Amino acid sequence: MSKITVTNLKYKYPHRDNLALNNISFEIQPGEFIGIVGENNSGKSTLCQSIIGLVPHFYKGGYGGSVIIDDIEVYKSDISTLCKKVGLIFQNPFNQVTGSKETVFEEIAFGLENIGIPRDEMIERINFSMKLLDIEQYKDRNPFDLSGGQMQRVAIASIIAMKPEIIILDEPTSQLDPAGSEEVFQAVTKLSNEGITIIMVEHKIEKIAAYCDKVMLMHKGELIKFDTPSEVFSLDNLSDYGINPPIFTSICKKLNLRKDDNNYPVTIEETLQLLKKERSYEQN
Amino acid sequence: MKSITLYEYKNSFLNHIDPFCKLLYILAALSIPLILGVSVTKLIFIAISIFLIISNKVFKKVIPLFTFSAIIILTAIIIQGLFYSNNKHIILQLGPLKFYKEGLLFAYHIALNVLNILLSFAVLIFTTKPTDLIDSFVRVGFSPRFGYVLSSVFQIIPQMSETMSTISDAQKSRGMESEGNLFTRIKAFFPLISPVITSSLINTRERAIALEVRGFNSTTKKTFLNQQTRTRKDKIINIILLLLIILSSIWRIITCLK
Repeated sequence: MSKITVTNLKYKYPHRDNLALNNISFEIQPGEFIGIVGENNSGKSTLCQSIIGLVPHFYKGGYGGSVIIDDIEVYKSDISTLCKKVGLIFQNPFNQVTGSKETVFEEIAFGLENIGIPRDEMIERINFSMKLLDIEQYKDRNPFDLSGGQMQRVAIASIIAMKPEIIILDEPTSQLDPAGSEEVFQAVTKLSNEGITIIMVEHKIEKIAAYCDKVMLMHKGELIKFDTPSEVFSLDNLSDYGINPPIFTSICKKLNLRKDDNNYPVTIEETLQLLKKERSYEQN
Repeated sequence: MKSITLYEYKNSFLNHIDPFCKLLYILAALSIPLILGVSVTKLIFIAISIFLIISNKVFKKVIPLFTFSAIIILTAIIIQGLFYSNNKHIILQLGPLKFYKEGLLFAYHIALNVLNILLSFAVLIFTTKPTDLIDSFVRVGFSPRFGYVLSSVFQIIPQMSETMSTISDAQKSRGMESEGNLFTRIKAFFPLISPVITSSLINTRERAIALEVRGFNSTTKKTFLNQQTRTRKDKIINIILLLLIILSSIWRIITCLK
């Protein structure tokens, strides 16, 4: 059974005329790692927020169609129920710190206290998630005293401790330096390997191509294509949607190097493999 | 980050006492002198508070409180000593200023009250982590939202003042004069305060979302990471304080009946 089923989802923010999401339908299977790409204002964040129920429950506004997670319909449920199944991490690590806790350890506990997890299990979960994100050494520091990357990992750990089955990351690395964003990607890969369904909005297209099972291409509130990275990035009119393909794909497009399925390679490994094959042809 | 709390962990006796014990102490220190109507009890409680403050190594931090209260007390002494309505007996004459006995006595009672209130609260505030205090309130049934608002103040205010200094640096680097006479400073205030307010509004919205996704509005019963540590010591102190309050009430009632 699909983990997330979205059918004909339409949404309009209050006091706006245009549809932020226009007739979107897709299905996501358990354990998949999905990347969402698209230019600014294409509805990526809104789509993310519609899965955890912030759209429509937090923002209100016009809503049509349905989002179903396992067997819960988002529209008929509420955020405090959904947050046990779906976790959301967003751009600014600074604003994700609750501001009411004095140590990283307590900060991670915040969500668990709210959903009523018994104390022993709470400590166990906090230790697990701190270990997973490699932030054990900051346990007793004040969350506000950490760097952006460290803070973002605390934010992710706080969500992971709540044991969601789906984790949504909305541009989690856009405010981080290369080292910080690599840390985040490593952590997310670990989670994906644990079997958690991951949905990630990201502008670093090479990373999306390397890590994701499938990619969603969004444009002006519509879902243009939802397929494997090489299918999506091999689209001829990709630049019409304001997206540049991964650098390896651009090079191979110019060289007209195609894989067996007629698509261009999207990662450095695929490109290398293809080049090696070409070379062995030439040598023969 | 700069902290705005007065609390500092000293691993002292009072650091490990349940916040409610200290609240009960405040109640006792304020109510018992009131019930008994004997001002010596105020002196006793002041002495106890000072003893507790010194023995818990926070005396240095309490000194500013003394200087603050000294101003109030001094004003009371001057005003009451000179102008108290029941003044009859002159006790001291400094040129044209006549200090009266009744007024000075009245000022003495005010001073005792001020010191008693300040010091008994100091016992609580200087030795209790604010979040512990708030947690114990939430535990007995206060709304967690209310608790969040209170405890976030301790972090968000320093955070805002940091934003403020960043913005003020940015404005200065673009040539805005922010130092000088009162008028320049008022002029500099508006371009400074409006980005602070707008940015905190935007931050508030995002933080609201962050809280939502962490189950802030969840209706399940909240649990707590920090265990409530009500030891036997706490219970004994509570019982003693309660007994004192009850006994003094009984004593007062009996003396009234006589």
